[in-house]
Amino acid sequence: MSDDNQITLTINDQKVVVDKGTSIIEAAKQSGIEVPHFCYHKRLSTPANCRMCLVEIKGAPKAMPSCYTMVGQDMEVYTNSELAQNSQKGVMELMLINHPLDCPICDQAGECDLQDMAVSYGSDRTHFKEEKRAVPDKNLGPLIRTVMTRCIHCTRCIRFATEVAGVPEMCATGRGENMQVGTYVEKALESELSGNMIDLCPVGALCSKPYAFTARPWELEHTDSVDVMDGIGSNIRIFHRGGKVMRIDPVECEDINEEWISDTARFSYDGLNRSRLTTPLRRKGKSLEACGWPQAFDAIKKAAGKASKPDAIAGLAGDMFSAEDLYSFNAFMKTTLKTDNVDARTDGSTMTGKHRCKYVFNSGIKGIDKADFILIVGANPRLEAPVLNARIRKNVLSKRLQVAVVGAPCDLTYPTMHSENTAIILDQIASGEHPFAKQLEDAKNPMIIVGAAATLARKDAPQIMYRLYTIADQYRVVNKDWHGFNVLQQKPGRIAALDLAVYPEEKGKDTAGILKALADKKIELLVLYGESDIPPESLKGAKTTIFIGSHLSPYAEVADIILPAAAYTEKTALWMNTEGRAQESKKAVAPPMQAKEDWKIFRALSAEIADPLPFDTQSQLRALIVKRAPVFENLNTFVPPKWESFGLAGHILDNAFEQPVRSFYKTNEIMRASQVMTECQDLADARADVNAKQRKVG
Amino acid sequence: MSVKQLHTLSVEDKIFKNLDGSDDWHIKGYEKRGGYKGLDKILKTAPKDIIEQLKASALRGRGGAGFPTGMKWSFMPPVEEKPNYLVVNADESEPGTCKDRDILLYDPHTLVEGIIIGCHSLGAKTCYVYVRGEYIDEADHLQKAIDEAYEAGFLGKNILKTKVDVDIHVHTGAGAYICGEETALLESLEGKKGQPRMKPPFPAGAGLYGCPTTINNVETVAQVPPILKKGVKWWTQFGRPNNHGTKIFSISGAVNKPCNVEAPMSIPLKTLIEEHAGGVIGGWDNLLAVIPGGSSTPMLSAIQADTILMDFDALREVGTGLGTAAVIVMNKETDILAVMTRISRFYKHESCGQCTPCREGVGWVWRMMERLSHGDGEIEELDQLFKVTKKVEGHTICAFADGAMWPVQGVLKHFRPLFEAEINKAKKKSKQNNTAKSA
Repeated sequence: MSDDNQITLTINDQKVVVDKGTSIIEAAKQSGIEVPHFCYHKRLSTPANCRMCLVEIKGAPKAMPSCYTMVGQDMEVYTNSELAQNSQKGVMELMLINHPLDCPICDQAGECDLQDMAVSYGSDRTHFKEEKRAVPDKNLGPLIRTVMTRCIHCTRCIRFATEVAGVPEMCATGRGENMQVGTYVEKALESELSGNMIDLCPVGALCSKPYAFTARPWELEHTDSVDVMDGIGSNIRIFHRGGKVMRIDPVECEDINEEWISDTARFSYDGLNRSRLTTPLRRKGKSLEACGWPQAFDAIKKAAGKASKPDAIAGLAGDMFSAEDLYSFNAFMKTTLKTDNVDARTDGSTMTGKHRCKYVFNSGIKGIDKADFILIVGANPRLEAPVLNARIRKNVLSKRLQVAVVGAPCDLTYPTMHSENTAIILDQIASGEHPFAKQLEDAKNPMIIVGAAATLARKDAPQIMYRLYTIADQYRVVNKDWHGFNVLQQKPGRIAALDLAVYPEEKGKDTAGILKALADKKIELLVLYGESDIPPESLKGAKTTIFIGSHLSPYAEVADIILPAAAYTEKTALWMNTEGRAQESKKAVAPPMQAKEDWKIFRALSAEIADPLPFDTQSQLRALIVKRAPVFENLNTFVPPKWESFGLAGHILDNAFEQPVRSFYKTNEIMRASQVMTECQDLADARADVNAKQRKVG
Repeated sequence: MSVKQLHTLSVEDKIFKNLDGSDDWHIKGYEKRGGYKGLDKILKTAPKDIIEQLKASALRGRGGAGFPTGMKWSFMPPVEEKPNYLVVNADESEPGTCKDRDILLYDPHTLVEGIIIGCHSLGAKTCYVYVRGEYIDEADHLQKAIDEAYEAGFLGKNILKTKVDVDIHVHTGAGAYICGEETALLESLEGKKGQPRMKPPFPAGAGLYGCPTTINNVETVAQVPPILKKGVKWWTQFGRPNNHGTKIFSISGAVNKPCNVEAPMSIPLKTLIEEHAGGVIGGWDNLLAVIPGGSSTPMLSAIQADTILMDFDALREVGTGLGTAAVIVMNKETDILAVMTRISRFYKHESCGQCTPCREGVGWVWRMMERLSHGDGEIEELDQLFKVTKKVEGHTICAFADGAMWPVQGVLKHFRPLFEAEINKAKKKSKQNNTAKSA
């Protein structure tokens, strides 16, 4: 019972046993006692400045902040004694004297900490007779709407920007009652995580700009789901009303996103309602016109019938697809159309699903907390996975984690060591010549993070992978207790595509082969499933081109038949994140108008052309997926794959790694359709221009 | 009590012999007055012994809180990985207080010598002096004194061949009262916004740049060399037990001769005012109230002022404090409500703003004071005002809010009838106006 690391105390006469070093507020929370608070947040530093969480500790001369005070053996804490209650009530009154009573026009109303606390711990009237304070609003860019008069100066946003996001741009200027929270110079925040400040703000001072005045929280329904704007699969809550997505917030998931999500995940939802395909389309001369599903199917059946041989048929899939989507597409191409010319690796990568350890984040995202040295190869985690980058930053700050980068220059918000940007540095690391080799050697838990986007699409990817395997082997990056070899996939569908073998399995053509055949006019029927990395100009040349997707895209130019499919918020589906962890997204709203869920389209189409694919329901489809790739069986569990050798020996090219992300706010068709993301990208471009000019002048 | 009740100090017994600025403040003048004599001997004494002597002397911090200096110095850990620092608080901003100003202006070498010994005792090689931003000449004199000391070999490496190294850096503030709070001072010194830190950790554990740090007032540090040179016995002849020594009193307000004067501790307030400040304007009977230790200490009524001794314990017994020993005298011609409202406004202006009660409360209290001192309000609001001060007091990170509320509580305690009279007068007037209008 008397464990050295355990402390026994009483809170409101209730016996509580907690770990040493726990704050009173956390101890109370663990035993189900609520202590009101505003500035305290478990993932941020504790300034103890709101003074709302004052409690009585027997023997202490005055009320103590429970967020800052650590538990002590046999401590007697009272959160509801007269002293504690008077303190809380007093602070609440002072908190409210300058807070406007504008709840009826405040977006936070209904989910406002201040409202809740005021009801529970405040008084029903104020004694304040003076004039209230008014504070000018700040312009924080297109994502955050400010009403600074409502600010209660808890400084959570400042601490988030400084500590988590790593952009020390927020501050409190002025002092006393003239203190104002804002940016040092008026400008949009340069953070990919800025939206989290909206969640952190306990009042309505920082609200979502796109969501402003569009809905009241009590009108919204919500569905917990998975984000697909990057590869890590952040857990999200989709708020919707009347079949329309109104807002997206993060859901706490310690293993993946803690409780943050990137701005692209949070604010791209307006792209779900813009440029959508809502009905099948058929080409009539130069224009496309709407038709019914039967007519579209009929046309596809005719085109498939006309194809001279299976090798004249080809299919390319994009990167925004779930397991169900990819499995049914793959089966449709390979079984129904009997062609092996199928590829989902449109970036030119030739990696297959063999040796799972070579394309997933083997340590798990949580593994970053254990690492003491990270070698980043050809990745920019800040733009490829902002939330994951925040976790690296957290460990750099708190545990002195060291980070070295071989790749394109980037600012990751924490200090990094950069080598020259060329892949042959890897040879030098392998041979021990490069200083990074020593650091790998000295580290207890060394980690390698390989950026899939910039590395695996290179021509010499197999050789690079071989070299990385050697390095990993040589420097104990993988050993009995530690698996530190990680591949960071930016694209949400890539791992599922590799797991389900959405690539030529026999002698079919891969992406390069299909493109060559197209140029040679050897393809008669081309099935384009979703947008991919290939520019539409290169996809011209097939007799008939079918496009299946959720958004009207530049591919419509080359398509003869277009089928409308569902976006990620409109289907219950399995997604494989970069760790190789299967998660399920939930259908929050229905696909718009005549659009259908993707697997249903392929299933129906297969029955038109040949024998129907062997699944009638989603559960039957799931069973087939699990049979093909058992990793899909256990949801939300992370199982590191077996460590096997991979790659091909040979020379690495002396080429620089490219920037993995060109336009952060425009990485997929949903973001490209989003007005909010467009605004963000324009700002980012303008900023980049200014920086480039300054560099030139300098 | 067998304590010799001294009321004036002989020139020999004064620590700040040039406090009035009549003599040369440069190093030559200081050395002529006995400065730096015996320094090498002290630097050869083990730090432990120095701290023991300070403990025996019962020297208490002169910056306001009165914490025993010897004990404070004994908290410093031995130097290991991180350096130890001595930081001198010369951010003297408490209204009514101007003792450090005269030390820096007219006797800066007393501080420099104190720092050398302080650094030696604390294992520090570097000392920062944080000088109030408005003290431009003062910082200038201090810097010159430091330069002179370097030249004379009292600073730098291997001082007087004792293997003691000391460097002093002068840093001027930007004019914020709160930076006199020791942890806010550290924040400011580190280049951040001056806001007090939560304690623990205390500065002795993690202070400046996270290193062990001792922060002392100018006067405290400057008093250390004479104690060590002349001995504990000499020091303890002044003042009552636990309050020994000499102290600079800054006497201002309704007195005939406002001044800074070094006097023995435990001197009766009446003697202090009559003998050193030329008495109250209009005579002792014309006295209304006295603020004994800078604007944040609650005031004493004229009756209390009659018999009170000026030391830490005596003033604490009557619910106030010695503070910085800045005696502000108010006679019956003083509009005390206006004075207290002005003090209240000062605190509203100087709150750093991080804690809710202080940020919101000091402004509220000032506005109420402003209103009620002009009779604009209800008599019940006086109780309300008192309640607000109680909501603010004791609920913040640092003691600023307490210091801002005590004067208001003091005026409500001693002078509530004046408020009531103002309110009644205003009510009568508005009633007359209304009758006149309706007629």
